[in-house]
Amino acid sequence: MAESRSLKKGWRDVRTIAYLTLDTLFWSKKTLFVMLLSVVVLGLAIVGRVVLTFNLVPTALPSSQVFGTLMATAVIRFLVLFVTLFYGTALISEEVEGKTLTYLFMRPIPKPTIMLGKFLALTWIGSIMVLPTVILSYLILYLRSDMNPFFQDLGLLGRDIGIILLALLAYGSFFGLLGAWLKHSILVGLAYAFGWEGFVAVLPGFTRKLTITHYVQSIFPHQDTLGALSMLMGERTDPVEAIVTLVLLTTFFLATASLILREKEYVLEQ
Amino acid sequence: MSKWYGQVIAVNNITFSIGEGVIGLLGPNGAGKSTLMKLLTGQLRPSQGEVTMFGERIWNNYELFHRIGFCPELDSFYERMSGAEFLAALLQMHGYEEEEVAKRVDAALETVKLTPARDKKIAAYSKGMRQRIKMAQAIAHDPQVLILDEPLAGMDPVGRHEIIQMVRQWGREGKCVIVSSHILHEIEAMTSTILLMHNGQVLAEGDVHQIRDLIDKHPHSIYIRCSAPRKLAEAFVGFPDVESVKFHPEGDGLTVESRKPDDFYGRLPELMLDHEIELEEITSPDDNLQAVFHYLVK
Amino acid sequence: MPIHDLSYQHWAGQWTSHPYRWWVITRQGIALLAKKKSFLVLLFLSLIPFLVRCVILYVAVVMGRIGFMKIDAKFFEDFLTQQLFFTFIISIYAGAGLIANDLKANALQIYLSKAITRRDYLIGKLGVAVFFVTLPTLLPGLLLFLLAAAFHSDLEFLQQNAWVVLPIIGLSLIIIFSNALIILALSSLNRSSRFAGIFFAAVIFFSQILESVLGALLRTGSLAWLAVRNDIVQMGDVMFGSRLSFQVSPWVCGLLLAGLMLGSVWIIHSRVRAVEVVK
Repeated sequence: MAESRSLKKGWRDVRTIAYLTLDTLFWSKKTLFVMLLSVVVLGLAIVGRVVLTFNLVPTALPSSQVFGTLMATAVIRFLVLFVTLFYGTALISEEVEGKTLTYLFMRPIPKPTIMLGKFLALTWIGSIMVLPTVILSYLILYLRSDMNPFFQDLGLLGRDIGIILLALLAYGSFFGLLGAWLKHSILVGLAYAFGWEGFVAVLPGFTRKLTITHYVQSIFPHQDTLGALSMLMGERTDPVEAIVTLVLLTTFFLATASLILREKEYVLEQ
Repeated sequence: MSKWYGQVIAVNNITFSIGEGVIGLLGPNGAGKSTLMKLLTGQLRPSQGEVTMFGERIWNNYELFHRIGFCPELDSFYERMSGAEFLAALLQMHGYEEEEVAKRVDAALETVKLTPARDKKIAAYSKGMRQRIKMAQAIAHDPQVLILDEPLAGMDPVGRHEIIQMVRQWGREGKCVIVSSHILHEIEAMTSTILLMHNGQVLAEGDVHQIRDLIDKHPHSIYIRCSAPRKLAEAFVGFPDVESVKFHPEGDGLTVESRKPDDFYGRLPELMLDHEIELEEITSPDDNLQAVFHYLVK
Repeated sequence: MPIHDLSYQHWAGQWTSHPYRWWVITRQGIALLAKKKSFLVLLFLSLIPFLVRCVILYVAVVMGRIGFMKIDAKFFEDFLTQQLFFTFIISIYAGAGLIANDLKANALQIYLSKAITRRDYLIGKLGVAVFFVTLPTLLPGLLLFLLAAAFHSDLEFLQQNAWVVLPIIGLSLIIIFSNALIILALSSLNRSSRFAGIFFAAVIFFSQILESVLGALLRTGSLAWLAVRNDIVQMGDVMFGSRLSFQVSPWVCGLLLAGLMLGSVWIIHSRVRAVEVVK
């Protein structure tokens, strides 16, 4: 009974922190700029549809490949990374820079709960920023008189949404950890996202497994047409292993971030 | 306990205990007051020793925050929120139901006289209003211990007076209120119990008058304005506790320095009667916090 | 008189002339960043490619061991384009907070209440970004050239390649000013340096994504100009007389870069004001 009350209170605290984080992080002018990027990605889907409908290009890619290309490059390799980097590093950093962390630490809530609440908010934000773009892109590219491909590839869409959610969780927890731990989390995050992952991911052998993108790409269902990921495609991890690894990585990063938040002394500069 | 950052010792081997009532934490800028408050509120961990509240270690002991309220010095908020929203969000984290949250928000805003501005965004608040909303979030959950870091900073005289009255009231209600300031007369207006800090160390602790009495290497100064200052001086200069006499340029008064002010006060009426001297004014410019601070910090 | 007057005295010396007031801001900005160990480490890392190329130069010229490595214009062009990653990181570190931090601390009013103009302030801030982006580009680029000339025992290298100095300077300036102006513009848009940094990354990387996706959709390579990095590389190819990397007219690339820089100047000019009206 006491345990269920404690769990109920714990969930309430997580939710309260999540709502507070949404209010402070999401509802701001900066979000408009992030949404603009999502809209541009949607614009790419529209361009793809226009090309297909009006046969503007003689050897155009079919809808499925256009969708796959969008997912592989614009969504997973950029939008997911960008959203989780921007909001993930801000989860704790914004509180430290804004000197509002004191208010949270002076509440009767365990510090790991604060981290969990913020992570929940990040998942919501990431989903709002990315998933509508994915679903709308699918609709734009597949809705036509012949609806067979639409229904045939619905499973792929479902898988894409699942992969994106896993990617949001894994990257979000990693960047959340950076934000809780480091002062220059954005720089380190950028160097990781657009430096390390790009560089190491094309190295042969075990080194690829030192990136989150390797596991995400291992469960990626689409055929990539750009060739940018073709080297990666050659050495994939088993999909089940990749999913389990992503879940474990998420748990590990989140637990580490919670531990750091719990033990670190945050000196709020005057 | 002690706290250091690399080579800098912010709090140096401090030991003290606090109870009900108002305690003034006094010291110049850089004395370690804010660091001490952060240690007391569990935001910093001592490098040596421990900090306990209600007999339990404060570090990572979040349950204690039901009973502790902290008003930080830093002027930072969730600016997009209104005052009421800010309080409500923080109160929800204490586990209150919605109805209770609303009641407590109203009560806290009423106490700090911010009810008319409850729905205004904090970004549009004046400095005084921002200070009040900070106080409100510290008291909203009715804590037993209140730790207020420079609560009067940026307040106008009316606001200062109101906060001082509030602090005194909380002390009378049995709460333990720790107030820090580097402005002596502010602390004096709130309490006579002080903890005087300098360079990370506690120099003195207790009632300001008792402390003053103990500073016997500095004799007390007593100012007397009377009808015949030189005659009066002649009368008491023979007593061994009188260290010095200084006449005022206007010629209507004198300042006496005495090591035993109680003895001096005791004999003064008789001396004045014997010599038929009219007393016009007597004060001790010395029996105050300024003097205590000045003598101990030197 | 025997007892000197030590009270306040008005400055009777010469006032610094107006054109140099921006330098005070630049100097202060450089001094502040130069104190940060992590930034100095980053600067050092950015010079590693330069050191590697010095070794290659030595081995190729003095020891004559690398037959396939020609020390020609392409050698210097490749060095500069290789430094684009470091200029990106350095621009964010040095430039993201230049104006954002002043907006956050309400310091603009303090700056502009002094005897400096808005132009002095902006040039001063730009000077900080320009200085630090110069360190991994123009300076080592010229040094490499000087070393190459010094390592050659005769004047043949200089006679054949003296013209390369101009493209080194030209491409470096394009890299420096495009980075500096864009990051400064983003810094002026918000009080958060984090915002400036990450949106700078968005400008650079999203433009590449845009180019690659649209290129795949439209089956064309003529959209390479969409990516800022490609524009810089293309301008480099033109300046160094190399084969063009992309099927795009260099004029388009140049115009886009010029447009970005001018747009940045416009943003900076309109955002930086002494007084903000709060509605």
